[in-house]
Amino acid sequence: MARYAMVIDLEACVGCAACAVACVLENEVPPGHQRLWIRERELGRFPELTVEYRPEQCLHCERPPCVPVCPTGASYKSEDGLVLVRAERCIACGACIAACPYDARFMNPAGYVDKCTFCAHRVREGREPACVETCPTGCRVFGDLDDPESPIHAALERARRVDVLKPEQGTAPKLFYLNTPARTGLRDTGKEVDA
Amino acid sequence: MKLSRRRFLTLSAASVGAITQVGRARAVRPPWAVPRKWYEGEVRTVLSYCENCFWKCGIAVRVEGGKVRKIDGQKDNPKSRGRLCPRGQAGVAQLYDPDRLKRPLIRVEGSERGEGKYREASWEEALDYVAERMLKIKEQYGPEAVAWFGHGSGDTWFVEYLPAAWGSPNAAKPAVSICTAPRETASQWTFGRPIGGHEPVDWTESRYIVLIGHHIGEDTHNTQLQDFSEALRRGAKLVVVDPRFSTAASKAHRWLPIKPGTDLALLLAWIHVLIKENLYDRDYVQKYTVGFEQLAVHSNKHTPEWAEKITEIPAGTIHAVAREMAAAAPRAVLPPGRHTVWYGDDTQRMRAVYILNALLGNYGMPGGFYLAKPPYLEKYPHPPFPLEPAAGGCSGSSGGEEEVPEGFKPRADKGKFFAKTTAIQELIEPMITGEPYPIRGLVCYGTNLFHSIPNVLRTKEALKKLNLYVAIDVLPMEHVMWADVILPECTYLERYDDLVAIAHKTPFIELRQPAVEPLWDTKPGWWIARELGLRLGLEKYFPWKNIEDYLDTRLQLIGSSLEEMKQKGTLVQRGRPYLKGWERRRRNPFGTPSGKIELYSQTFAEHGLAPLPDYTPPMPVPEGFYRLLYGRSPVHSFAKTQNNWVLMELKGTNEVWLNRAEGKRLGLAQGEYVWLENDAGVREGPVRVRLTERIRRDCVYLVHGFGHKGRGLRLAYGRGASDNALQTRYLLDPISGGAALHNNFVKIVPGAPRPKLKRIGQLARERRL
Amino acid sequence: MTTFYGLPNAEPFWHWTTPVHFALVALAGGTAFYVALRALRKDPSARRLAWLALAFIALDLLMLWAESPARFRLTHLWLFLSFKPSAPIWWGAWGLAASALLLLLLALGARGERLWAGLLALSSAVVLLYPGYALAVNAARPLWDHLLLALFPATGLLLALGLLAWLRPAAEVAPWLQVAALVSLILTVLYPLALRFGNAAQQTAFAQWLEGAGTFAAATVLLAVAAIWARKNPYLAGGCAIVATVLLRSWIVEAGQHTLLTHGF
Repeated sequence: MARYAMVIDLEACVGCAACAVACVLENEVPPGHQRLWIRERELGRFPELTVEYRPEQCLHCERPPCVPVCPTGASYKSEDGLVLVRAERCIACGACIAACPYDARFMNPAGYVDKCTFCAHRVREGREPACVETCPTGCRVFGDLDDPESPIHAALERARRVDVLKPEQGTAPKLFYLNTPARTGLRDTGKEVDA
Repeated sequence: MKLSRRRFLTLSAASVGAITQVGRARAVRPPWAVPRKWYEGEVRTVLSYCENCFWKCGIAVRVEGGKVRKIDGQKDNPKSRGRLCPRGQAGVAQLYDPDRLKRPLIRVEGSERGEGKYREASWEEALDYVAERMLKIKEQYGPEAVAWFGHGSGDTWFVEYLPAAWGSPNAAKPAVSICTAPRETASQWTFGRPIGGHEPVDWTESRYIVLIGHHIGEDTHNTQLQDFSEALRRGAKLVVVDPRFSTAASKAHRWLPIKPGTDLALLLAWIHVLIKENLYDRDYVQKYTVGFEQLAVHSNKHTPEWAEKITEIPAGTIHAVAREMAAAAPRAVLPPGRHTVWYGDDTQRMRAVYILNALLGNYGMPGGFYLAKPPYLEKYPHPPFPLEPAAGGCSGSSGGEEEVPEGFKPRADKGKFFAKTTAIQELIEPMITGEPYPIRGLVCYGTNLFHSIPNVLRTKEALKKLNLYVAIDVLPMEHVMWADVILPECTYLERYDDLVAIAHKTPFIELRQPAVEPLWDTKPGWWIARELGLRLGLEKYFPWKNIEDYLDTRLQLIGSSLEEMKQKGTLVQRGRPYLKGWERRRRNPFGTPSGKIELYSQTFAEHGLAPLPDYTPPMPVPEGFYRLLYGRSPVHSFAKTQNNWVLMELKGTNEVWLNRAEGKRLGLAQGEYVWLENDAGVREGPVRVRLTERIRRDCVYLVHGFGHKGRGLRLAYGRGASDNALQTRYLLDPISGGAALHNNFVKIVPGAPRPKLKRIGQLARERRL
Repeated sequence: MTTFYGLPNAEPFWHWTTPVHFALVALAGGTAFYVALRALRKDPSARRLAWLALAFIALDLLMLWAESPARFRLTHLWLFLSFKPSAPIWWGAWGLAASALLLLLLALGARGERLWAGLLALSSAVVLLYPGYALAVNAARPLWDHLLLALFPATGLLLALGLLAWLRPAAEVAPWLQVAALVSLILTVLYPLALRFGNAAQQTAFAQWLEGAGTFAAATVLLAVAAIWARKNPYLAGGCAIVATVLLRSWIVEAGQHTLLTHGF
């Protein structure tokens, strides 16, 4: 079947958070929790600076650590490569939240664990996830890695650099970050300046 | 929300389907079932345009179960193109904000303005109250004694239609003198054309873009951000001139951390290099401009070395950028920006920007400025107004002398500056002093008086003196709770409004129609305007019975109809974006006195104004203070979204950006709470300090719109600091009437207490309808 | 510096009820294990003790159900309708259920006592093992190191034995208490060393551990006291064992949830 993945070009992303808001409305995300958030990192010293805007959400890993730990099989990986939660089976034990290296999951007050679903309900109808559809900079591309016609391949090939979060965890994420300014934009490789 | 969505399945006989889950009863949902999501229901789409900033993107509103669930962009709309910014998406939360104004309110007899004591009233009583007192003012002082302030789509009713019918020239929009006035006035007198609400920059065709303090990516005007991103993707080079490393700067190939207030020197140096090194477009200048000789002579002294000392940008960089610009010309552009009221010489700075663009030969050419054409749209055939509306707007006409008809007074700020549009901040003094004549009444539509006009204390003093102050708004902003009568308008998702006409490459018309019925006892602006108009004896200007009649008539006049527009949402027409197209039709696009682009402005010279821009230093920063700079966050619009829970969850407060080295010198820790005190002794805060490398040492920066003091705004109240409260000083631009706001200075006072506020998520849950 | 629009879901996901559960489940599993041991030695008092173990299990299950956001959804059924041996909590559910059944059989004096006791030893071992497994399985949280697979069963059993020292004849429990305390003591000392001299992730965890060094110091002292005085003063030893194990287990569960917001690249 399919193997859905997403690509975000960090050279284009301005951190406007249109994606984060679209997600809240599309997926009825309850207040106090986020399926999708933006991380803004400042690197360097005045005047040699770089700022990286990075949207973060569930990465729909190929080897998701949140799936084996679920005692009821509520957390599962679908045939089209999406990591989802069968809310009807969730006992809200939180084991999957503990297992996720990316802080992607949260407890929905309705009594089940929730997170980004790559808008499975839209994707299976041939539409794009809400975050991809609304992005004003066009930095998000969604596609099927198993489909040679998918635009995601062109996006990956065009990129000067492809990164994933925490590769050492061995999760094989399917959300790829392209051209991260943290690596490509810095003239003076300064470390993150933190107080 | 969860409770209202909980549905017990009731299956009708016809819709029996096999249900496969184990143990699931037909008529009752099992306990482990989760609430249904909105997209599983029946969704209908209503096309309209957004109101969350003034870009007015076409939107597609998704309605399910009688409620608005989501707002998307409109695929065929040239502004949104199917995409939408965060504030547009979050409009749903504004619609269902439980803190909204619900019923007309009348201030309790005997109470003070600002005390907040109100009683509920019917629309009849409230409107009668307003009309009675307005007619009394008219009788005693004349119609000009009522000022009309407004911003938003409804401002067509309250700043154009009604004031013109009523006979008051004192109608003003903050979008003019607190925002675009300098760039509009300069454009009018350089190109003879407005810039307009939709800046006509041909981004995607450009190869070299220079932004002067333009906060793209933070001010998030949808289309502009889309085009800007596309331009960069196509390989355009970007230079950003800004004392702060903005989001745009993070995408730039060069960031010029210019000393605040010296942009004009930099622009003049670039003009100098282009002329001296013969890098300007000779053919273009010869064919389309006048005044080059005077400009060349004037430009002699503006060397990059001279500019280096002023701007703190190396002369080598100035040279290099000028040469790069010229190499990319005519696909090299300096976009005009939008909020240009900075230092008081802003019209001249904008003139320099336009002169530079003209020297690059890009005005009316691909990759530069295109020629925006307004769409063909007829006005509603009402009897002629006694007065022409003088408020202007994003594309307000700002040239020439105004004619004052017999029996009417000129606007109260006439003579204070050259342009002919009103300057909202100049209409406050007459309310206090009665000079040149008294203004005794104010109708304030959707204008945040305490978060936009500088010198808030003066505004409050003026409000106290009025005979009548009426506020028409959606939320209980602080200034709203000072009014004598509060008329609650419903949000844009619950109403029709006038058609919007966008001048563009492909000019278009947008319709607003309601997606749901107005909540509580709120009414649309058009209805309020009409009801008020009838009571003020202006029936003849309201021959239309309702808004559908008004809109349909206008649309029929251009061969369309309301029914058609409701289906389409947007009507796109043909444009004429480049000079070639105009020349083919033997039409001259330049509405200047000379018929050409005026590098040297004869008109300015005749009025005692500098015909060519020259640099004057800004007010110096006092010892121990920092210049207060401000800007936007992409998740907020002005001071209107800080009660929107979705947006506040993303950014719930502003912080004061301070250079890290400065912070260290003052002994401040990251995230510490401080007060900001300006040089007039006004204090704001507590506000968190953001120590950052992204700003120069001589200035601080705040995102505009926080520091709300209206207690009715349960999410917004008490978070962050208000830049506007600290803007007690403004310099009046003698040409455009703009109120320059960058000459306010603050010092950091440590030791402020941490505000005891609940978390946004918690408040949002507690407040749920 | 790093700022956010919105925030990652980095808040604690297990609240005060979880350390309470860890204590209760240790009492349940430890007591059940002890019951199994006594029953295998044909001790008639094992029957009474079985009721105590059963009570602990019931209390633990009640508490788990009551604090779950999904309590009225009856989804806990799925624990027994699915086969997920990769999930520690699945093992815990079956371990507790099987132990409860076996304890009931023992308490009611059903025939085949040796069989039930043998099986109970296995199922209660599962109950003792699964909490450590539930923590250690999370590779993303290096403070929950693989050593917990040993530390948690040891301290779990010790907690139960500490309580039993007060309820049972001293001579009976004391030897077991001493061994358990000694093993726990060794593992408690090994734990920070394993972190300090481990890989990069473990060393970051060591920095986190340092914040709880005081707690660990106190616990180590108490464990030493328990080990040394187990035979001479089982009451003192039992009390120290209880306090030490509760401190250790609660701190580890609580602290391990706070991710250090590392960026990932």
